[in-house]
Amino acid sequence: MSSYLLKTLTKKEEIDRIIRDTIDEVLVLRFGRCTDAVCLHHDDILAKSATDVSKFAKIALVDVDSEDVQVYVKYFDITLFPSTIFFFNAHHMKLDSGTADHTKWVGAFHIKQDFIDVVEEIYRGAMKGKMIVQCPVPPERIPKYQLLYKDV
Amino acid sequence: MATLEDSFLADLDELSDNEAELDENDGDDGKEEEDIDMDMADLESLNYDDLDTVSKLQKSQRYIDIMQKVEEALGKDSDGAEKGIVLEDDPEYKLIVDCNQLSVDIENEIAIVHSFIRDKYKLKFQELESLVHHPIDYARVVKKIGNETDLTLVDLEGLLPSAIIMVVSVTALTTKGSPLPEDVLQKVLEACDRALDLDSARKKVFDFVESKMGSIAPNLSAIVGSAVAAKLMGTAGGLSALAKMPACNVQVLGHKRKNLAGFSSATSQTRVGYLEQTEIFQSTPPGLRARASRLVAAKSTLAARVDATRGDPLGKNGKALREEIRKKIEKWQEPPPARQPKPLPVPDSEPKKRRGGRRLRKMKERYAVTDMRKLANRMAFGTPEESSLGDGLGEGYGMLGQAGSNRLRVSSVPSKLKINAKVAKKLKERQYAGGATTSGLTSSLAFTPVQVQTYHSIPDKCCYIL
Repeated sequence: MSSYLLKTLTKKEEIDRIIRDTIDEVLVLRFGRCTDAVCLHHDDILAKSATDVSKFAKIALVDVDSEDVQVYVKYFDITLFPSTIFFFNAHHMKLDSGTADHTKWVGAFHIKQDFIDVVEEIYRGAMKGKMIVQCPVPPERIPKYQLLYKDV
Repeated sequence: MATLEDSFLADLDELSDNEAELDENDGDDGKEEEDIDMDMADLESLNYDDLDTVSKLQKSQRYIDIMQKVEEALGKDSDGAEKGIVLEDDPEYKLIVDCNQLSVDIENEIAIVHSFIRDKYKLKFQELESLVHHPIDYARVVKKIGNETDLTLVDLEGLLPSAIIMVVSVTALTTKGSPLPEDVLQKVLEACDRALDLDSARKKVFDFVESKMGSIAPNLSAIVGSAVAAKLMGTAGGLSALAKMPACNVQVLGHKRKNLAGFSSATSQTRVGYLEQTEIFQSTPPGLRARASRLVAAKSTLAARVDATRGDPLGKNGKALREEIRKKIEKWQEPPPARQPKPLPVPDSEPKKRRGGRRLRKMKERYAVTDMRKLANRMAFGTPEESSLGDGLGEGYGMLGQAGSNRLRVSSVPSKLKINAKVAKKLKERQYAGGATTSGLTSSLAFTPVQVQTYHSIPDKCCYIL
């Protein structure tokens, strides 16, 4: 549904290229399946806010079922879908949202404004030179999850 | 009265005799001027009986000549324009120029005859003049009514719009006038006939000019059409006269003064004359008509100027202007571009707008550094400062209380500092309490924290607030 507004990446070269080529803009990569219900909700929010943040952010979807992409899935340790990873000028930006994993955002955003707030916060932090920023979303709207570490 | 009239008439007859002599000497041009002079004299004298003393145009030689030529030209088929001859020598062009001049003269003549009729008919039906403005319509109505007092017997259908007929009939019932004597009536009817003749002559002249318009003013007729072009030229008095007019005048050439008859003037269309009849104007939607009339007037003035100087005999300029007008009107009718959703601005890209002004300054005063604190911050050179706990411990006093400076009690301007309500209440109590026991040794010091500072080496009753 939203895939015609947002680019879907399937190959490793594409991902590399887009990370390299996004300059001075936050790059939002969504790792997930386009068939999942939660992913659909998440994609919908991303698509709607794509024009709003277009001046300082770029959004792309990565289909986690393709072969090439498994490298990245392993590298970023993505187990739950959808997971969103933020980059700025090819640096990986971390987000402290009170959850266990700061490297990515797991789950869907509840409302469009949350997503825009997160992107703005990342942008501000990145422009100041920070690698990790505080999440501005109030805790009741942050999706909670349990991380299993080696099945423990 | 009769003798006065007669004497005036005698004077006028003398004048006309004089003219008859001069006529042989001067050319036709002189005649026209004299006509006008005589008419002016007539108007001044006010009392004239004979129509012929007023309107001499129809009898003039020039008029007869030109009308004859026009009728000939209308009758025969126009042969192809003789391109070889320079335009100014072209006899047809000369005729057109004469026709234009003549049409202006005829208009003046009609106006004079109209005022003659009106003056005579005022005795019968005074209000008619304000109800029917157009001179020819007036003449027709007068002819129809004649000496009738009962207007129901008179059929004015086709002469006037029905609303006006109604108003006329109603006004006739209450008019103060009385039927005219027979001879006056005769004269009036004659004058009406004269006016109608002049009108038909004018029409003939117009038709002739219109048929020739394509070769006279190709550019102008390309824009507004030959009928309107002929009318414009006729009213202006020639192509060069039309070219000299500013466009705003061309816009209102031929504007008819509408009889409102009680209707509001807010709905009447204003400021369009003959241009109203052009195809371009009729095909624009009503909302854009005002702009369109201005545009057409401007471009047709340009075209008239081109034609006056014969710059473009083929009319290409006119066609280009017409195309331009059409395109512009189409552009006005386009819908406005759709609004795109605006993306959010980049965060922190616009610097914060700092506000200033009296209100902000007053607000800032509440948190400003006070004089006392400033003094306490300053230190004298060479002398160790006193402190609240002595020996350099505790808060330093700086320049406060120094012998050199006479500043212990700093000016007791009511402090603008923001004080907690609880603290303010306590302060007030202390003040009153301190006021009651005025012993020099007792001190009302209190060791309260936060904003109230106390000095233990400076005995005093009041608490200072730093």
